[in-house]
Formats: sequence, structure tokens, C-alpha cells
Amino acid sequence: MIVVNGVTKAFSTGSSEVRAVDNVDLRVQQGEFVLILGRSGSGKSTLLGMLAGLLRPTTGTIRIKGRDISTLSDDKMAELRSQDIGFVFQFSGLISTVTALENVMIPTLFSADGAVNRAKALELLGQVGVAERADAYPQTLSSGEMKRVSIARALVNRPSILIADEPTGDLDVDTESEIMALFRQLNSEGITIVMVTHNPDLIPCATKIYRMSHGRMVENLDSTLCLKGPKIRDEYKDQP
Amino acid sequence: MSEMNPTADFSFFRLVARNLQNRPYRNMAMILSFAIIAGTLFSAQYLMGGAQQSLENGLNRMGADIMVVPSQYAASSQTVLLTGEPTTFFFSDSGFEQIIRLPGVAKASPEIFVATLFGQSCCSAAVQIIAIDPERDFTIASWLKENPGVTMGKDDIIVGGAIEGAIGSDLRFYGHTFHIVGRLATTGMGIDMAVFTRIEDAYTMAEESGVKAVQKLTIPQGMVSAVLVRIDPGASPEVISDEIKQKVPGTKTLTPNSLVSAVSGQLAAITWLLYGVTITVTAVSIPLMACIAAMVAHERRKEIAILQALGATKSFIVRLMLAESFSLAIIGALAGIITAAIILVGFQDFIALTLKIPFTIPSPLTLVADGGSALLLSVVIGGIASLYPAYLINRSEPYETIRKGEP
Repeated sequence: MIVVNGVTKAFSTGSSEVRAVDNVDLRVQQGEFVLILGRSGSGKSTLLGMLAGLLRPTTGTIRIKGRDISTLSDDKMAELRSQDIGFVFQFSGLISTVTALENVMIPTLFSADGAVNRAKALELLGQVGVAERADAYPQTLSSGEMKRVSIARALVNRPSILIADEPTGDLDVDTESEIMALFRQLNSEGITIVMVTHNPDLIPCATKIYRMSHGRMVENLDSTLCLKGPKIRDEYKDQP
Repeated sequence: MSEMNPTADFSFFRLVARNLQNRPYRNMAMILSFAIIAGTLFSAQYLMGGAQQSLENGLNRMGADIMVVPSQYAASSQTVLLTGEPTTFFFSDSGFEQIIRLPGVAKASPEIFVATLFGQSCCSAAVQIIAIDPERDFTIASWLKENPGVTMGKDDIIVGGAIEGAIGSDLRFYGHTFHIVGRLATTGMGIDMAVFTRIEDAYTMAEESGVKAVQKLTIPQGMVSAVLVRIDPGASPEVISDEIKQKVPGTKTLTPNSLVSAVSGQLAAITWLLYGVTITVTAVSIPLMACIAAMVAHERRKEIAILQALGATKSFIVRLMLAESFSLAIIGALAGIITAAIILVGFQDFIALTLKIPFTIPSPLTLVADGGSALLLSVVIGGIASLYPAYLINRSEPYETIRKGEP
């Protein structure tokens, strides 16, 4: 479903060049829940931005459902994002001038299928457990509620891929568990999930785990390790 | 795009409306600027349009191509025509015979102007009496033709649109009682403040005034105040005017063009002030609004980047910003135009009196055109002002913006 071949993303900083992502290969099969671990500055979010078509690789190719997205025009890239990819940000990413329900409906403005009705958006809010907050503005929602609305919004165009950038970064432990349970449920319903995090506590949720360091993919962990949960978590807490 | 989908519960326009509703203070400066631009431009056009409309109405009513007056009273005559300020003056009617014989002159009609007394028991009001010769007149004659039930007999008067008194009622001037038999439509010109009577009744009034009025009126025999001239089709008013001035020394001529020039001159100061304000406000507003829009865009760059991450194309973002800007322009322009219209209509008489111009409310078509052009200018300015921030936003990488904006 997602094939990344030799992707590099370099940024110029004055006369020098920084490789945020350096020659990375990655394969994600349909229905997988891929977790990319790494510390801040390891390049995981930059890789995620390229997977979502929000950044163009300096070199290498990224294929999503067989299409090389690095060669797509801006409009085609936007179309891809609106149809095939749902994005959950580290922060809530909700638009402050519209209600929770309207936030969920915004991506439908960009979809070729047209807008979904209010009932469908409400149903999605119900699925993520915040239907009763539909008419609330983002600034009146708790962090957990905002994240749930953000997830509902990412799902509204029925994407086959859900990309999440540190989705539990600003949440307390209980809310983190609830949100991850929601991701697991979505994955069990067939949605492919690629998530980046610096938090090894999330390892048990994934079916495949990668670790990035200094822009490189340094490890590809066997999914069976995921079952070891706490042990792996303790091991990775001390990794660079 | 679903923005055109009528069944959609959330639309592009809803998003625009929400963005405007929930940023009221930020939008006020933009709305105020658009209101000032549109309001001043509309005011300038309204005043010019109203004066021109009034002139057109008045000149049509008079039906004359040239008005011949004594040269020393040319300014007073113009005032009589434009604002109806009463005045009395005469020149020898021997000139009339010369005028009527000139080639190109189709008709000529002598008139006597008499200012009534103000605040005296003998006079109902301070108005301009215009005494006509029913045999030669074509101003009132054409009105009488349009109103076949009305005849102008002894002591009958036809009053201008602004004169008080119902048809059938009486008015007293210099102690002489006149009977109102007709009322002219309002033109906005001086003719609205005039009372038309027959020359012979004016002479009778003058004769009686020594006894009946607090001040005697003298209308010298063989004298007239003005001669109205209608020229042959195809003849030039300017050429015939020159000939009249040559043949009848001591006279001046007023033509529609000269009246239009006079009114334009009287309006010049105020219209240039208004146009000046429009141009200045526009010149200041474009960079100011671009600056505000750029600041807003800077503040909103994360929001815009999120929209792009959710699938919005760059053209969608440009349309969103333009639509918001156009909406502010339309709201501001309408507020400015409506406010200006209320002030102008409310103070219409005061403005006309202060500026010494003829004035009537312009035709609905002119009003729509004036309002439309003021609205259009605002929308164009709004569009220009939003282009720069839209360009800035579209240049940035959305993901970079999202990452930079993280808390």
C-alpha cells in the first residue's frame, strides 16, 4: 500500500545542508498498524509529512496505492490527501471558528464525493465518543475531546490510510489509553495506520515497529515483539 | 467541488460566514475602510447626479434653449433659475423685437421677474413671480397642453412644486389675491419656488401695491426681465447666443451648457473634496488593508496549512481568502452607501441651500449605477488587498507551517 524507496529530505540552513530524512526505505501493507519510534529531531515527523504528501522528498520515491506521489502536481496531491489519507495532528488541529461538528465536515468540501450530511458527521462523532459536544467550539473542548474530534475529521472521507503524528503527545495517561484503543479499533476495521511517536508505551498497539535515529531507519522490529509490551518499552526508553 | 452542492449541510459559504462571524473585531477595520471609500464615492456621485437630474428636469420644464437677461443681472438670473432666490430686474423690451427676428430663433417669450416681499402682511410668502405673456409663452403653454382641464385666466396662477398652497386656494402678493389653478412637478431647480402669472395681472398687482402693500412695486412699461428663446432644430444655441449679444448690447445669455458649467463650478469644491477623500482613502486603504490581511493571514497560516493537510487545494485557499475579503468589502460598502444615502436624503435641502445648487433625488437607475460603482470599487480594492496574503500563504510549505506552529 505504501512503498518508500531511498527517500531523502534535505533542508538548507545557510551554507550547510541538513538531512532530516536520509535514504529511508519502508513498506506498509494494507491493514497494518505501523509505529515509527524516535526521539525529537530523528526525522520521523518529516517522513510522515512526506507520506501525507505535505512535503516533497529531495530524492527517492514514495508510492501510495501504486502511484508515485513525489511526481504529483499540487492539486493531485491535495486530491490524494482528501480521498485516501486521513491526518491526525499532534496538536488538535481544529479550526477555531467552526463547531466540532463543522470541523468534522470540513474535509468533505475537498472531496469529489461531495459533502456528507450532518447525520453522518454526527455518527462519526458518536463513534469517537463526543457526539454530545457536536455544537461546541474547539476552545471549549478538553484535550481528549479535541483529539477525538480530530480523529473523526480524519475519518470523514473514509480514507484507507490514517496518518498520525504524535497523536497522544499532549494527553494524560487515561486519555492516551482511550485514544489508542480507538486507533486499534479503527485498525481492526481495516484502516491502515502509520503513527509516529517518541513514546515507547504505545508499542503494544502496533503490528509493525520501526525506529528512526538521525534521519535513518535504524531498526525494523518483528511484530511479535509487540506482544512483549513492557519489556520492549523499557529497552527503547534508553535508545538514542 | 461540493461548495456548489445544494444538499450539502456544510458549504464553502458557511465556512466563509463562520470565519467572518467569529472574528468580528479584526474585521471592523476592514469594514470601516470599505464603508468610507464607498460612502464618499457614492456621495460625490449622488450630488453630481442629483444636480444634473434637477437641471435636466428644470430645463425640460422651461423648454427654452437660451435665456436672455441684462448683463448686470446675469448672476441673479442664474440664481433665480438654479435655486429660486427671488429677484427683480428689468431691461428694455426693444431687444425682444430684435431677438425674435434673428435667423434660427423659432420662438421667443418675454418674462417679468418680481420678488415678493418677505414676512409682510401683504404677501403670503417670499417667492419669485414670473409674469408671462400667454400669447408668446411656451413654458407654461406646454404644461397647459399636458393638463387640458386647466386654463389660466385673470388672477390665476400656476405654482412651482415647492410652493405651499392647494390648488383652488388663494395666495396674496403685494396685497393682490391670486388663485392657484395648477402646480408644476418638482424639478429641484429654482422654478420650484416660482409662481407663474400673466403679465397683465402683474401690472395690475403693481398698480394696486401702492395702496394694498407695505411697499410699492414698480414695473416700468416697455421693460422685461428676460427673454426665453427656443431655437430651430439643428441650430446652435452658442452661435445664436453670440448673435443675440451682438444685436442686443447690454445682454447676456444663459444656455443649458452654461448652467451645467455653473452648477459644476458650484459643486466642484465639494465633489473634489469627496473624490479627493475617496482617492486618499483608497490609496491609504489598499496597503493598509493588504497589511491587515497579511497580518490576519500570518495569524491564520496554521489554520490554512491544516486546511491544506485536509485536502484543500491552493486555489481553494485563494478563493476562501478572496471570498472573505469580498464579503467584508460588500458589507462595508453597503454600510457606507446606506449611511451616506440616509445623510444625503435627510439633509438634502440643507445641502442644496448651502451649496446653492439645484437638486433633486437622482433617478432609481442613476442611484443603482452610483451605488453599484461604489460597491464595485470596494470589491476590486478588497480583491487587490487579499492577493498579497493569498500569495504569501500559497508560497509556504503547509507541513513546515504546521510543525512550526506546534505548541
